[in-house]
Amino acid sequence: MSTRHSTYAEHYLQDNEVAERHDKTFFGVREKRDRMAHDLPEWEDLRKAADGIKRHTVTHLAEYLEQFEANAVKNGIHVHWAADSDEYNAIVLDILRSHAVKKVVKSKSMLTEECHLNESLEKNGMEVIETDLGERILQMMHLAPSHIVMPALHVHREQIGDCFREQIPGTSESDDPTYLTHVARLHLRKQFMEAGAGMTGANFGIAATGEVVVCTNEGNADMSTSIPKLHIVSMGIEKLIPDYRSMAVFQRLLARCGTGQETTVYTSHFRGPRPGGEMHIILVDNGRSQILGDADHWQTLKCMRCGACMNTCPVYRRSSGYSYTYFIPGPIGVNLGMLRDKDKYYDNVSACSLCCSCDNVCPVKVDLSTQIYRWRQELDSLGHSDPMKKFMSKRMAFLFNHPGVYTGTLRLAKAVNWMPKCLVNSKLNPWAYGHKMMKFPKNSFHRLWKKKKI
Amino acid sequence: MNKMSAREQILNALRGNTRERYDMPDLSEISPIVYDDPVGQFIKKATTTAGAKLLEMEAGDSIDELVLLAYPEAKIIASNVKGVTAQLNPDTVETAQELASVDVGVIEGAIGVAENACVWIPQTMKEKAVCFASEYLVILLHKHDIVNNMHEAYARIEASDKYFQKYKFGTFISGPSKTADIESALVYGAQAARGVTVVLINN
Repeated sequence: MSTRHSTYAEHYLQDNEVAERHDKTFFGVREKRDRMAHDLPEWEDLRKAADGIKRHTVTHLAEYLEQFEANAVKNGIHVHWAADSDEYNAIVLDILRSHAVKKVVKSKSMLTEECHLNESLEKNGMEVIETDLGERILQMMHLAPSHIVMPALHVHREQIGDCFREQIPGTSESDDPTYLTHVARLHLRKQFMEAGAGMTGANFGIAATGEVVVCTNEGNADMSTSIPKLHIVSMGIEKLIPDYRSMAVFQRLLARCGTGQETTVYTSHFRGPRPGGEMHIILVDNGRSQILGDADHWQTLKCMRCGACMNTCPVYRRSSGYSYTYFIPGPIGVNLGMLRDKDKYYDNVSACSLCCSCDNVCPVKVDLSTQIYRWRQELDSLGHSDPMKKFMSKRMAFLFNHPGVYTGTLRLAKAVNWMPKCLVNSKLNPWAYGHKMMKFPKNSFHRLWKKKKI
Repeated sequence: MNKMSAREQILNALRGNTRERYDMPDLSEISPIVYDDPVGQFIKKATTTAGAKLLEMEAGDSIDELVLLAYPEAKIIASNVKGVTAQLNPDTVETAQELASVDVGVIEGAIGVAENACVWIPQTMKEKAVCFASEYLVILLHKHDIVNNMHEAYARIEASDKYFQKYKFGTFISGPSKTADIESALVYGAQAARGVTVVLINN
């Protein structure tokens, strides 16, 4: 039995060139992250502090949210609370309608993907324009993001060129990235000028000051909030941190971990509406408060969505974001998907080799691989374990509990070497699927040890 | 009975689901990187990874001349900085949209950060669009306002009552707007400034 992840990945891997390029691209980002980490002597202290700050904040979240709300209101910001995605979408729609907004410019926000905001607004007759270049390309091509930080790196320049030529009048035949970026710049400029509202996510909310911080390289969040007078911030409640001292720790980690840069180009602090404008913050729960009560998985709430765990993950790099069934791929996505709906997203727990590399790069020390391991232990009780593997595990348990039988079997195992390859490497043997069956050695380790040859 | 508001519902759920509580860690345990020559480090970072140009301003130099030196073809300059000749003033334009045609925006930075070439730009103008919509940006920064790292920068912002008073916005900018969204190719000028020149003022 294959999981949907392995089936999609198998399909993806048919094109070796594409798969290799994907792998190299993201490993390159991982290597850049490593250089950043090695350049700072205090790196591990920063990670330790980030882990500690998040542990503290999420276990005092109600108090910090109240403090954040009180300060934000003092700053002249309208604060809204949404228990789930329906409430969230309704609040956004209500604010936009009350300002008679027809067109919204939006900077990248995973929360809006999680809540399917764009569909909700479009259904209600509003035009939503993504302004992060990668997100805009995907929106124009009707594709979903394949990564949370670099969402369109799997799309090739020729496809982007064709898409622009079809949808942006005047685009020439060139597929040069500099040229295409310039075309998008002019196209998006027009959108910023016409939009009635700008929407952003929040990388951080600061409780002590009642402000939100948005980090981008393109400056699209700033363009979205400098031209239209209405600014709506969508913020997951776990994005809160206590104060500026904490902010310094996270500012230093975010870009270094995410893209291997010392900083994002823009780190923008929004502490109130612009002159003559209005600012709204919507605090969204959508399952987060329940995660807090989960002894095995509450630490996912520490995640700041830098994407480092995806870039390092050998399974993500070699299977791409679309092989996962949850919209956030990679190690954090496997866990968040399970927390969203175990029966819907259990396929993704197979997308892990338990190499634990993600644990070592995570800036806030989420125990990602341990959590995936725990989910796997639960699969059987959820009724989603692989019957073939379960059968084999039971037989192995018998072997390992009976040393005599084990030794005897091992002696016989050599016989497999003489069996016809077509039989050994067939689909009847699930262990030989995807790779060649191993060759059993003449003497087992056990035997060599007994003969004192090791 | 009234339906519980989302606010109460969320706060109650959080309180009910909080298990073990953790203390805030002692952040003074971090010894952040410092440099023998923070100004030199700032210049190095600004002109390499951040991709900015750098000019030094000595006593007697005029900002207008430096702006012209950096962007000789600029036609429309926008600024509210005293002593800068500009065609548009972000304090007096009617709408932010008017700043879309600006070739060069001239703005003031308050803190420079050596570790990553970030410059803290507190909003000091009515329309902050001048910081983002201008094709090119000139940022004025005093050398003595350069600190080692982000910890020092945030401590300064927090300690000062200058920021967020009139306008409730401030941003760190490190070089021109960038993207690598098309096949990882680094391109300057995605949405905001296509080029940035930091003018370091000697005191």
